[in-house]
Amino acid sequence: MKTMELRTHLQVEERTFFKRIDLNLCAVILALNLIGLINLYSATHGVHITDKSNLFWMQIFWLFSGWTIFFLLTFLDYKFFDRFAYVIYASNVGALIAVHFFGKISYGAQRWLDLGFFRYQPSETMKLSLVLVLARILSRRDSSKKMGFTDLLWPGVIVGIPFIITVKQPDLGTAGLMALMATTMVIFSRVKTSILIIFLVLGAIAAPLVWNFGLKDYQKNRVLTFLSPGRDPRGTGYNSIQSKIAVGSGRIFGKGFRKGTQSQLEFLPERHTDFIFSVLSEEHGFVGSIFTLGLFVIIYVMSISIGAQARDPFGSMLVVGAIAYLFWHVFVNMGMVIGILPIVGAPLPLLSYGGSSLLSTMSVLGLLSSVAYRRYLF
Amino acid sequence: MNQISNSEEEVKEYQSRFKALYIVVGFASLIIVSRLWFLQIYQGEELREYSEKNRVKETKVLAPRGLILDRDGKVLVDNLPGFDVSITPQYAKKLDETATAVGEIINTPAAKIINDVKKGRRRDGPFRPIRLKDNLSLEEVYRLKLLRWDHPGLNINETVIRHYPLGPNGAQMFGYVGEIAREQIERLNQKYANRITFEQGDIIGQSGLELTWEQKIRGTDGIWYLEVDARGREANADTPRFLGLKPRNAVPGSNLVLTIDKDIQEAAYKAMFRDDVYGNRVGGVVVMKSNGEVLAWVNTPSFDPNEFTTGISNEVWDSLANNKLKPLRDKIIQDHFSPGSTFKPIVAVAALQEKIITPTTLVHAPAFIKFGRRIYHDHTKTGQGYITVLEAIERSSNVFFYRMGISLGIDKIAAYARALGLGEKSHIELPHEVSGLIPSSEWKLRTMGEEWQPGENLSNAIGQGFILTTALQMAIAYNTIALEGKVVKPFIVKKIMNVDNNVDQEFQPVIVRDVSKDPFKGVTVDPKTFQVVKEGMRRVANGNSGTARWWKVPGVEMAGKTGTSQVRSFSSEEIYDKCELHRFELRHHGWFVAYAPAEAPEIVIAVLAEHACHGNTGGAPVARDILMAYTQKYHPEKLKKDVQSRTPAAKSHAPILEENSDE
Repeated sequence: MKTMELRTHLQVEERTFFKRIDLNLCAVILALNLIGLINLYSATHGVHITDKSNLFWMQIFWLFSGWTIFFLLTFLDYKFFDRFAYVIYASNVGALIAVHFFGKISYGAQRWLDLGFFRYQPSETMKLSLVLVLARILSRRDSSKKMGFTDLLWPGVIVGIPFIITVKQPDLGTAGLMALMATTMVIFSRVKTSILIIFLVLGAIAAPLVWNFGLKDYQKNRVLTFLSPGRDPRGTGYNSIQSKIAVGSGRIFGKGFRKGTQSQLEFLPERHTDFIFSVLSEEHGFVGSIFTLGLFVIIYVMSISIGAQARDPFGSMLVVGAIAYLFWHVFVNMGMVIGILPIVGAPLPLLSYGGSSLLSTMSVLGLLSSVAYRRYLF
Repeated sequence: MNQISNSEEEVKEYQSRFKALYIVVGFASLIIVSRLWFLQIYQGEELREYSEKNRVKETKVLAPRGLILDRDGKVLVDNLPGFDVSITPQYAKKLDETATAVGEIINTPAAKIINDVKKGRRRDGPFRPIRLKDNLSLEEVYRLKLLRWDHPGLNINETVIRHYPLGPNGAQMFGYVGEIAREQIERLNQKYANRITFEQGDIIGQSGLELTWEQKIRGTDGIWYLEVDARGREANADTPRFLGLKPRNAVPGSNLVLTIDKDIQEAAYKAMFRDDVYGNRVGGVVVMKSNGEVLAWVNTPSFDPNEFTTGISNEVWDSLANNKLKPLRDKIIQDHFSPGSTFKPIVAVAALQEKIITPTTLVHAPAFIKFGRRIYHDHTKTGQGYITVLEAIERSSNVFFYRMGISLGIDKIAAYARALGLGEKSHIELPHEVSGLIPSSEWKLRTMGEEWQPGENLSNAIGQGFILTTALQMAIAYNTIALEGKVVKPFIVKKIMNVDNNVDQEFQPVIVRDVSKDPFKGVTVDPKTFQVVKEGMRRVANGNSGTARWWKVPGVEMAGKTGTSQVRSFSSEEIYDKCELHRFELRHHGWFVAYAPAEAPEIVIAVLAEHACHGNTGGAPVARDILMAYTQKYHPEKLKKDVQSRTPAAKSHAPILEENSDE
């Protein structure tokens, strides 16, 4: 130890595991885990529900698994993913195609592969794989130049394949999130302004075409309902209205733990997965909602500083991907719960019940932690 | 090394872009925070109310209808607890399965249940429960309760079932209850000017006292709040505390204490089913105390109002509505008939008071008289010879009263008839009373545009012709004679008792007028006049030639008059034919109206025996049985010791019908 000190004067070798790991990040994640568990307990223990109470214990299991992955990824040099990005990507696309043939149908869409003990949702991990492969592609180009049309071709193909498969499932929510994350990463690595304008114009032209030919009726309904929830309060507008009632009725301090009538009496659909935030808002009010949102903002802020201190472009791009993943999930989910976005299937990271979502989120955070672990050059 | 330095530059290049991310994150957070503020703080109160309304199900707690008791406090109409089963379409997610499971228990085809639920949904929307079956047995209730958890939308409700212990006896008076009809809702809400609000599904009185006294009997429904989950199932048994919602208990309706005497009511009903040649009588009987309190009110044939409470089937309804004997109709006040010879005492009052005759004037009453071009017959082929008014009443001489009619003229007769209480509604507390008809020359000119014919004086003087009276009016008129001038107002409800069993309202006997003291439209009648007529009426039941002399209660004298109301006029060839030879619907109605005891009247009984041919055999035995029951209850000391042995014997003294059939 002493010799090292003498040689470098930088005390690098003294940074033990616990000092190098970003404990603040871990603390915030843990705080969100706890909030998530408390909230999930309430959501799964309503007046009638007995068969959902085991979901709470399942989630604890997934949390342990998630933290294991988190630490594994922290210690594993993320260079590994730079090297194997395409392999991971290709196998994930393979799984996505397998869903198409062997998948389980639930809620009218084919999303799951039954692995016996666990229903694996390849589209969930696909978001992660896209972050890896895009980080690899984008980190290897000359970042001083803005991307032209030809530069965008290859990333476009890479994103396009899983995007189209996911749309076909159909899982518009996940596909949309993929697109948002990919776009964020691409724009971050800078695109020519003219191209951005062209895409905006193309998008405006394509929208009515997609509306008429690309969307199924139930998907159109969701959008229409979002635009005016009152048009079918007992049908498609039901979720949106009940969710807004739940959130609003929480007022400043909420109705209290397990006292949310909207969730306990089952007025909220999907309250343990996509609508978990309305349970929280109802029972813990404006204060609880802002506190939870604040923890996410702290994670973003930490992530941004980790990204800015990354030792190499791949690490930075990985962090951008991680931020995009967390940001868009939280924004889309909360936006849907509070009625500013249409209802799409997007889980709230760390709070929604679900193995796939939780493991993906913990992996994203693990990558973040891995970059943080290696931000010091020596 | 080169690559690393490159990387370092690039990383630095990235830093400014990372800073831009702060702005994006900040902006997005601001959007979410402001939306949360809008929902939770700005709209918080309103949305909290919505969430309360969401979980609160307002249920109506049915107020039990008030009881109906007799004058001694015996129950005439009460309530029984019951259960019904219904389905709320909105929550019935598995309607097919639910219908199959429920149908099996309540013995209804699943297809019918599905059809009913769908029809109900179209008609009243998805939240109005559709009742599948009332009056469930306990076993059905238990089996249905087991289904409830697996079948959202299935409700088992406690209800109150109206119960009529007397069954068909008095059904026209008590009435029946049934679900409010759509067209009734608006009309009743207007009528009660929102003092009571009627809604669909309400059970209301549909006839009789149940209808007339609806406002008092129905009580006030309560409101109860239940916590329900999103599928409408009860989440909590105890009433939750809600924002500003106060549950209200149901207030039971007021109890009615009637003037009816259950014992007399039962005796009267039984009397109509006497075991004699006429068997089951068709018609009505009213028994009234001389102060106007109605003791019994019976119509036959009748119907069982209990069947209406639990929803009457179409077949049963049709058979009641189309029955030629009109079991639903209250024949005592809703039908009027020619009074026949029961009108004669009233003409006798007029003739005596107008000094056409004195009590001792002898009048020649042969088998017929000729008036104008027509021949007017007595009901006997022999005639009565020279008789006084007493004998004329006793034997029911037609010719005597033809002569009175000629001398008095219709307008005098009408004035006396009206003074005694005929030709106007009594305003008893029962619906759809008709007023009867006392004709006058002015009336005929007005309604028919024709002059009164002198010949019509003859037929109207013996209660045929235009004159129409109800059984109740006959009771009132005879009571006026019995009381020597006091016209009373008949009434059925004596007291209204509120929930705490305190008297809310009490009704006293009302004397409408006393024609012995105060002139009624120019008519005053001396008590002495009444006394003569009363003696004649006493002889009807007690004299040697009395038309009703075979039916006596030992120890108590009845005074009354028999009568026959022609359903159709028979030709002169048919006139002495045996009435029983005609088809049932064409036979004469028999009347017998009497008061008792003759010397100190306490009650008046009017018997209408439709198609019984004769007033004496058809009506008098019924009145006698009722008087017997009355005396046994109120004056047992008057009955002679050997009454039990002599009663059955009385029956065997059946009169020879042809000779004594009165007209």
